[in-house]
Amino acid sequence: MNETVSTPLKIVVGIILLIVVAPLVVPLLMSISDTPYIVFPPKGFTLQWYGAVLANPEARGSFLFSLELAAIVTAVSLVLGVPCAAGLTRYRVVGQDVVLGLILSPLIVPLIVTGVALLQLFSMLGSRATMMQLVIGHTVVCLPYVIRSVSASFVLANRNLEDAAAVLGAAPHLVAIRVIWPQVRPGVLAGAVFSFIVSFDDYPISMWLADGNHFPVPLYLYTVIERSFDPSIAAIASLMIGFALLLVLVIEKVFGISLARLAS
Amino acid sequence: MSSGDSVRASMLSPSRRDEVSGRVTEAASHTAERAWTIFSGTRFTGYWLVAPAVLFLAIWFLWPVLTMIHLSVSARSVDGVMVEGFTLDNYIRLFSSDLYVRILLRTIRIALLTSVIAALFAYPLAIAIARGGPALARLVTITILAPLLVNVVVRSYGWQTILNKTGALAWLLKLSGVTNPPVLLYTEWAVLIACVHVYLPFMVMPLASAIGRIDRAVEEAARVAGAPQLSVMLRVIFPLSLPGLAVGVSLVFSLSAAAYVTPQILGGNFSPLLGTLIEQQILTLNDWPFGAAISTLLIAMVLAANLVFLKVVNRRFARWTGDIR
Repeated sequence: MNETVSTPLKIVVGIILLIVVAPLVVPLLMSISDTPYIVFPPKGFTLQWYGAVLANPEARGSFLFSLELAAIVTAVSLVLGVPCAAGLTRYRVVGQDVVLGLILSPLIVPLIVTGVALLQLFSMLGSRATMMQLVIGHTVVCLPYVIRSVSASFVLANRNLEDAAAVLGAAPHLVAIRVIWPQVRPGVLAGAVFSFIVSFDDYPISMWLADGNHFPVPLYLYTVIERSFDPSIAAIASLMIGFALLLVLVIEKVFGISLARLAS
Repeated sequence: MSSGDSVRASMLSPSRRDEVSGRVTEAASHTAERAWTIFSGTRFTGYWLVAPAVLFLAIWFLWPVLTMIHLSVSARSVDGVMVEGFTLDNYIRLFSSDLYVRILLRTIRIALLTSVIAALFAYPLAIAIARGGPALARLVTITILAPLLVNVVVRSYGWQTILNKTGALAWLLKLSGVTNPPVLLYTEWAVLIACVHVYLPFMVMPLASAIGRIDRAVEEAARVAGAPQLSVMLRVIFPLSLPGLAVGVSLVFSLSAAAYVTPQILGGNFSPLLGTLIEQQILTLNDWPFGAAISTLLIAMVLAANLVFLKVVNRRFARWTGDIR
């Protein structure tokens, strides 16, 4: 049936997939090595490095801070993004192309430049509110994802249903809650999930705006990689990879969102 | 059950219908009209809805980026002191120093090579997604996309564990009889390998959707007319996949030209890219105007790449396929 996917092609695909997962599997193997340095293949077996990481207050603190930051950023992005998506798809807005261009441009301008530009602006304004700066910086990047995802679901929603409900006498708030919301909910959910991930994983914005008391996970990981060489780094990496796999499962199975939207 | 079904079901349930029809007979035209006014809104509703997000991005994105571009031509740093006034000094310095030009060329080289290699890896994967059975397509899609959820620091570290002196690659090479395996860590090769890995999904997905859109009948026609598999690939699938390739290349080029974490972790101090240069100029040397000039150059590179790859390729594409569609 599928002659287009021949056996040689399947073999090539298999090899490429192996290369793709290799950097995610090798740290896992190295994290159980009973040596004070990183070595492949691992020697012996120990879980002490995991114990060390989990007991480390810095690691825990960064993790919790990143969760908090991502949650706030997602909330702000939804509050700004959902109405914007509704306005762009349901109403005539003069200059719509310009608005769309502005909204999507944070995805084109390099993040490292957006970050440094914000740092310059904040120091010009004399701001020292690090938490607020981080929330603003991350929201600039997350907002486009939310607006794109929610707009798509507004476009797909069937307007005849709204008209029908309104004509049949449903009050506007009922139309919004019982007709529009169920149709756009998947888009809002997807936007929220992507916003959370983008914020949680951000490095190039945080590197400019964070300080010692507000230190997101990616920055923490980077400093650990720079300064230590024992397998505890591999253990942290493995924990992060496990966390990501859990996210994949939750996103695909529980939320039913296709990951493919992340890369398009 | 899709959300549309649940809406329909709730609208048609007997109690709901009675409630609605009761109210319709009472004040049909009035309610419907009010609902219509609020939902279709006044002339300004759209603006009110869009305004908060637009204002937010205007203040916290557009303003800082424009300020930064402006700074690059309105000040220069002389012995650590900012001297104001229009100047092209920062750009002249950027293009006249051997060191900076080398970093610029390295950045372009890595971004281009990453795009090309990513495209080579992406084609088989995209064909498997677009033309393989559902199980194969799903396996490939998940395996390609799952790494996107793993932090880029961790992915770069993963390559460090493979490419370093006691790493997995050295072990594998020794096993297969290479006596003196090369150490790739802290070379441009390491940066290139990791960049391809990190940005591969952004090439695979647009390619897969472009190949998925190709009419199978066109392929069939070529095959029936006697074209061997390779010709079908090169003369049917490849040209028709160009719009997807253009999207992929512009994404991968832009992302890898601006990469910071990956070159930092895998290239060490030996192969910095423009991103590292910005960081050094601003955080270490405190030379804001020069940092602003490099940032502006980076924006210009990314915009140029988008323009070239998307606009030019799409125009060509329209000409090539004009007689098919």
